[in-house]
Amino acid sequence: MDNNNSEVRFDSDQCHLVRIDKQDVAFSAAESRNLLVAMEQARQSGIYVGCRGGGCGKCRIRVLDGDYASKRMSRAWVSPQEEAEGVVLACRIFARSEMVIAPYPPELAHSYQTP
Amino acid sequence: MRKGVMRPGHIQLRVLDMDEAVNHYRDLLGLIEMDRDEQGRVYLKGWTEVDKFSVVLREAESAGVDFVGYKCVDEATVDRLREELVAYGCKVEDIPAGELKDCGRRVRFDSPTGHMFEIFATKTQTGKWGVGKVNPEAWPRELTGMKATRFDHCLLYGPNIAGTIDLFRTVLGFELAEQVLDGEGTRLAGFLTVGMKAHDVAFIEHPEPGKLHHASFFLDTWYDVLRAADLIAMTDTSLDIGPTRHGLTHGETIYFFDPSGNRTEVFAGGDYHYPDHEPVTWEADKLGKAIFYHDRVLNERFLTVLT
Ligand code: FES
Ligand SMILES: [Fe+2]
Repeated sequence: MDNNNSEVRFDSDQCHLVRIDKQDVAFSAAESRNLLVAMEQARQSGIYVGCRGGGCGKCRIRVLDGDYASKRMSRAWVSPQEEAEGVVLACRIFARSEMVIAPYPPELAHSYQTP
Repeated sequence: MRKGVMRPGHIQLRVLDMDEAVNHYRDLLGLIEMDRDEQGRVYLKGWTEVDKFSVVLREAESAGVDFVGYKCVDEATVDRLREELVAYGCKVEDIPAGELKDCGRRVRFDSPTGHMFEIFATKTQTGKWGVGKVNPEAWPRELTGMKATRFDHCLLYGPNIAGTIDLFRTVLGFELAEQVLDGEGTRLAGFLTVGMKAHDVAFIEHPEPGKLHHASFFLDTWYDVLRAADLIAMTDTSLDIGPTRHGLTHGETIYFFDPSGNRTEVFAGGDYHYPDHEPVTWEADKLGKAIFYHDRVLNERFLTVLT
């Protein structure tokens, strides 16, 4: 699955409420901001902040509910099947409706060799 | 003992989106775009570098480093070191001339930390960019962004840095300039050089193999590092930490991320090394100060966020 969605538009300022499941955390995310940076800018925490670029995997989450657009994220941390099931990197997705998410950070010592 | 390896020659980085990556390395860092190839790879360099390129970007499904290459004084040295690498137990692969555009044959080898390295001796020399070879001006007026002058070093994370450091010292003739030792004398970090620079490559012990911590580019002055910080703010680039100073090597530095999550450093200053210098030692309980000299506290991100 080619997940380099470079044609998706990320310039809308419309905002959506994002809740972190089982935590008392909610923040508003503009459609143009990735979820991780939206959380940081709302001075909230709950998802680990790493590179903010889809490379390090530290911000991995499960989307429990809601719609989103996404940019390419490293296959070292999210397989095509996982991505289809809503496992994503928070720094590479953009809210398109109200959302409920849960942290799902990767194990250390994940080994992945790129072809 | 030096073995004929001269300097870092190139690093090939994996990026998730080439256009975004070029914005980062060319327009923000101010590297010069030198070429592209049929595979879509983009070749860049800092303006003071005489060889045609030092940074190769490859669009891929993951971020990180493909390989780091070191330039040797001549082809005979590459032949000799190839034999020594085989005898040492490395898996060696011969990469034909032209696989990287305008680069001669390379000898690629693996390492205990899981990184791939290369040695080579031939690459087209286009000279310093934007200034003449005779009566050169001080700098080209067309530079953009941070005006990075050269690819300087990278910091790599992996298991068994003792093994990779031994390989670099024994076979390739690198010298240990700085190190971090824990209470039992175990080396947690090693900074290696093949010249007078404070480091040409560095390793930190970490369970995941083959990881990139950062690729680093040299700036002229501390003020240039502060100006780089301004540009990071202006472009809303993902900041890691800085501007600050390292205890290790004492360089003035700022860390930030490329749009695929690979960490970039730009730095100025730093110590120097001669072959008769003892390694400079930092103790593990002073690791905070060794890494971030002003804050004296290590952040979690420095130790765990890698590509
Ligand atoms: S913070 Fe690194 S992948 Fe999201
Ligand atoms: Fe560095």
